[in-house]
Amino acid sequence: MPWEPSLKTKGRQKTKWRKWNNIIHRDLGYLCVGLTMIYAISGIAVNHIADWNPNYRLERLTSSINPAPLNGLPYQQLVAAILAAVGENRPLVDSFSPQPGQIQLFIKGNTISVNLKTGAVVQEKSMPRKGLHQMNFLHLNHAKKLWTWFADLYALALFFLALTGMFVLRGKKGITGRGAWLTGAGVGLPLFFLWLYM
Amino acid sequence: MKPFLVIASILITLTLGSNALAKDYGKPLRLTEQVKISDILDNPDNFIGKRVQVAGMIIEVCAKRGCWVYLSSDRPYEKIQIKVVDGEIVFPMTASGHMGTVEGTVEQLAMSKEKAIEYRRHLAEEKGQPFDPSTVTGDERIIRIHAVGAIVED
Repeated sequence: MPWEPSLKTKGRQKTKWRKWNNIIHRDLGYLCVGLTMIYAISGIAVNHIADWNPNYRLERLTSSINPAPLNGLPYQQLVAAILAAVGENRPLVDSFSPQPGQIQLFIKGNTISVNLKTGAVVQEKSMPRKGLHQMNFLHLNHAKKLWTWFADLYALALFFLALTGMFVLRGKKGITGRGAWLTGAGVGLPLFFLWLYM
Repeated sequence: MKPFLVIASILITLTLGSNALAKDYGKPLRLTEQVKISDILDNPDNFIGKRVQVAGMIIEVCAKRGCWVYLSSDRPYEKIQIKVVDGEIVFPMTASGHMGTVEGTVEQLAMSKEKAIEYRRHLAEEKGQPFDPSTVTGDERIIRIHAVGAIVED
């Protein structure tokens, strides 16, 4: 006669299975906290990219300087005079002339455009949004290379987090009770939007 | 706890440290000869659809998505737009003023006046700049390079 597990053994096997499920769910949950927060915050930020710049704070300043003393100055002195006039003391990266009589000076985080005839100055300053810029860098995988694989692992971890999450509890509050309705809603809502917009 | 800290430090160094100011973008450059930007702008029909490598100073970067830059030409007062697929390559704002070498396919955008106004308005929005529609006077033909790879010098 083949061996059949007793009710007690079956119960113990079930408990063991669920115990490991819950351990995996708990530890994956801890592991994913940091990245989930980064992805959530960055996700909201880049979702609204049409309305704002989630990476940089941009500032456009217009002013004017006296162009007369700039007339005929050699390049180095011209640059130094403009930088002094606009109060920029960071080092020059390079310069470009978009049109005759105009010069653009590139400073890290600031592009200074000067009309050498009129003295009109436009400064376009860009400052990375602290924290958010770095979160977007990771979330949108600007890093590529090794980060791509790390992000794949994280996605896989999320998959198992969701899967194990369904079986944490038994009974009315588990997947056979309230869990079934909530899981159904979680699957149904994206399907509804697909039906609505596609 | 120590192993976790070590792993976290290594990952942060490898990802943020080495790539926040990455020099290589997209696919590796494979052409051995460069074309002058002025040659492309003078005779665009000879280049449309062809893969080219060009070099110049990055004089403007898309502030919103880093999805385009302008490269200065070898001839004074000239520039060409370098467009990339959103997210595939993201040029940082700090690239302005640095020399860039770009490889990609030359393409043209032929636009009616209305489309050109729409396009210029979109560009100005991305730059966070005001836009005056009267600056567009008629149909436009824009020659640009759809880039697949780039190197930005420090």
